[in-house]
Amino acid sequence: MSAPTNAATSAATLPDEHHESIWGKAIYKLRRDRAGMVGFAIVMAYFIAASGVWLGIWGTHWSDVEGPKWSPMSSEFWFGTNIIGQDIFQRAIYSTKTAFEIGLVVAVLSTLIGAVLGALAGFFSGTWIDAIILWIKGVLDSIPFYLFVAAVAFALQDNPYAMHVAMISTFWTTTGRLVRGEVIKLRNFEFVEAAKAIGVPQITIIFRHILPNTFHILLVQATIVFVAAIKSEVILSFLGLGVQDGVSWGLMISESTLEVLAGYFNNFIWASVLLFGLVMAFNMFSDALQDALDPKKVAAP
Amino acid sequence: MTDEVAKTLLSVRNLVVEFDTRFGPVRAVDDISFDIFPNETVGIVGESGCGKTVTGLSLLRLVPSPPGRIVQGSIILNGNDLVQLPENDMAQLRGDDISMIFQEPMTALNPVLSLGTQMTDVLRQHRKMTKREARDVAIDMLAKVGIPVPEKRIDEYPHELSGGMRQRVMIAMALSCNPKLLVADEPTTALDVTTQAQVLEQIVELQEEFHMAVILITHDLGVIAETCQRAIVMYCGNIVETGTVEDLFERPRHPYTKGLLESIPRLRDERIAELPIIPGMVPDLLSLPAGCRFADRCKYAQADCLQTPPRLESSGDTGSGVACYHPLN
Amino acid sequence: MSQPLLKVVNLKKHFPVRGGMFSRVLARVKAVDGVSFELGKQRTLGLVGESGCGKSTLGRTVLRLHEPTAGQIFLDGDDICTLDREALKQRRRDMQIIYQDPYASLSPRRLIGQTIQEPLDVHKIGTPEERKKRVEELLDIVGLRKQVLSRYPHEFSGGQRQRIGIARALALNPSFIVADEPVSALDVSVQSQVLNVISRLQREHGIAFLFISHDLAVIQHVSDDVGVMYLGKLVEYSDSGSLYRDPKHPYTRALMSAIPIPDVRQRAKRIVLAGDIPSPMNPPSGCPFHTRCAEAMPKCSQVVPPRVNAGSAEKPHYVSCHLYEYSPEAPA
Repeated sequence: MSAPTNAATSAATLPDEHHESIWGKAIYKLRRDRAGMVGFAIVMAYFIAASGVWLGIWGTHWSDVEGPKWSPMSSEFWFGTNIIGQDIFQRAIYSTKTAFEIGLVVAVLSTLIGAVLGALAGFFSGTWIDAIILWIKGVLDSIPFYLFVAAVAFALQDNPYAMHVAMISTFWTTTGRLVRGEVIKLRNFEFVEAAKAIGVPQITIIFRHILPNTFHILLVQATIVFVAAIKSEVILSFLGLGVQDGVSWGLMISESTLEVLAGYFNNFIWASVLLFGLVMAFNMFSDALQDALDPKKVAAP
Repeated sequence: MTDEVAKTLLSVRNLVVEFDTRFGPVRAVDDISFDIFPNETVGIVGESGCGKTVTGLSLLRLVPSPPGRIVQGSIILNGNDLVQLPENDMAQLRGDDISMIFQEPMTALNPVLSLGTQMTDVLRQHRKMTKREARDVAIDMLAKVGIPVPEKRIDEYPHELSGGMRQRVMIAMALSCNPKLLVADEPTTALDVTTQAQVLEQIVELQEEFHMAVILITHDLGVIAETCQRAIVMYCGNIVETGTVEDLFERPRHPYTKGLLESIPRLRDERIAELPIIPGMVPDLLSLPAGCRFADRCKYAQADCLQTPPRLESSGDTGSGVACYHPLN
Repeated sequence: MSQPLLKVVNLKKHFPVRGGMFSRVLARVKAVDGVSFELGKQRTLGLVGESGCGKSTLGRTVLRLHEPTAGQIFLDGDDICTLDREALKQRRRDMQIIYQDPYASLSPRRLIGQTIQEPLDVHKIGTPEERKKRVEELLDIVGLRKQVLSRYPHEFSGGQRQRIGIARALALNPSFIVADEPVSALDVSVQSQVLNVISRLQREHGIAFLFISHDLAVIQHVSDDVGVMYLGKLVEYSDSGSLYRDPKHPYTRALMSAIPIPDVRQRAKRIVLAGDIPSPMNPPSGCPFHTRCAEAMPKCSQVVPPRVNAGSAEKPHYVSCHLYEYSPEAPA
């Protein structure tokens, strides 16, 4: 009676050698994407620079007035000095830390909020929960971003995190919308119903069964928000609403407007180049990541 | 020699189709050869992963590439080797000399174009006709496949039709230029049993009317028994047995064919306790055994089966053959 | 007379189709429209029909995964439609489900071990060690090795995933399982393997099944009793032997003749039905099958045929067809 089972069991060999995880496949595809790998390498270089600043290894003299104003690029001042005499190189390096700080904080928090609210809206779509979340999303989306930031900055009375709060409050909406769509789709899959049939409570179903299947969306969105945050900070610095207790590329660029008029470009050029570099590299990496994680692009039938 | 050439419609020799995976290239179709004669219905039967769909796609050079590609072999249709043909020439042949219908009619038909548009597009692509002429031919085709009131329905959209109807529209489109060969990939698998019966009858009728050969790709042995004259059994990228349907079902020579026939649930007079099974699973294409690919599941396997893979040995000119060192019967 | 394990009385499940500006109800899809049957302890009832007949909806409604629109469902004598959420959660331990699609029925980002153990965790059964032991027992019953526990669903074939789904359904020791087309999506040679697992559960563990399928051959293999569904109604219902020997309803006959038989000698005379299956949103009046029935009478389009016992009292053979209304056949 149990002979057929044993035959079936023993011959049911599991593919031990070709253990394929979801991330494994993605990493494989990623590694073959040249542009993506270059982007990733550049981002890593920036990250190392930022870590160095965090650890106090370099970039510590960003606010010191060290040299004569507008000194040209030299072996002492690699990028020259700005109008006050600060070392542009130190400031530029320090700004990588600022950039990563803003980027990471905003990306992580807005993704988290977007994931949670999106999942709730999607799972309870059609009910009041969904209606409220959608309404909030709609309101936030209709307010012009910079106006909103100005209002938040004013409300928080020059709190250094005003900018972060403003960005997080508006950037979560795109993630939320995407997650909501995906959750609505996943909600109809049988594994969700199976969990219900066992008696798993709804909140657990949402966070343990459904949300993990949106990680590919969340990861890509996080990278997009990272870049958006850095870029927004530039404009905010122009408006005086940017970084208050440090320096960023945006601040440097906005400071340099006067200098450029006087014919001194170092500040402007270096800040712009570094900003552009990170944004470009991150975009390339983000595109490659999206392709790698795309469940529809299969390697073999 | 010339007689044989004149007789065969399609001749596939040593076809190999590879796919790139992260673990290396995988041969979905590994050195298969077969012939198709005019006006016959041949079934290609096997389970998932056996390579039957890839075979069908290869005949129309529709294998997605990358990641797949035909690395070896020839497909001769009317004296042309389809493998070597440039894409433009191949596009001319598709829909005209050789046509294909697919399993999922909803995704095979464009949901935003009306049936009329899709059908007349195909016609005007391959034949010189005006829009009016093409529309008339299309309405005629719809009538032939049994769509009621075709002159009204031709302006409808795919979602307005049932699954069975959509499948028939796809057949109408595939046949509108009177191809000599129709490749049908699981055309009724997604349909209900009663609708399946209708569509299969339709295919058989149309085949007679249009004098074409049909390659019917399916996993359903019942469908093969009812509609095909010959059948090709595939396993793991190889052809393991070919023959007339009578021979295959009454006197299967390959243990896989036999096992398959025995294990299908079928209507019996008495309820039995346990169904006979083929133990084990289809091997992973990435780690194939050295010898016969079916050996580890075969109850008749012997030592020589494990050494080298058996080749397909043909006998007679009916195109029957078996790839086994110890065939049954 | 012993109480049936499951008794369903006049069950209905209608889905409203909403549309328009204020989400008005435009129409109702009558997926299940007045179905009654009984399932005895340790027996298997096969439900057969084609797409749109409502069999899958029926299976889920019986478990209250869909809320019934009307009707009653008695599990061991208790009407489960009246239970509150907590009580229902307790009763869920007695009734489980296995699904058709092996690729959608397992949580993709959870390990197999977590998936099979989840029912035990949710209902807090035993200590964690005891739960792990139980999971290993379950793997044994379905014929899988321990290594599967630390893998993800996508690493397995359809047949293996179905076995995992069965192991999960068995975890709580249910008295009956709804099997919704459990082998339809599997390869032919794997179908028989999984069917054998189910047969063993019937014989050795005494689990009752509500086995849903469109495949008459599969149904015959596993079922004691069979119900044939069409457009939300049960048109024929009897024990398995009687149904296959003597199908009474014209639809059942057509269904049986439509199956392609893998036997070259028997190219059966096929009853080819005209037309397509009508939409469950707009079922025909009277008998739902009359639009395609070769033996339809004028009455069939006007009056819904009542259920009649065309068999005997000991071996009932219920049919809903006007052909049998006035002349129930004498018991065989």
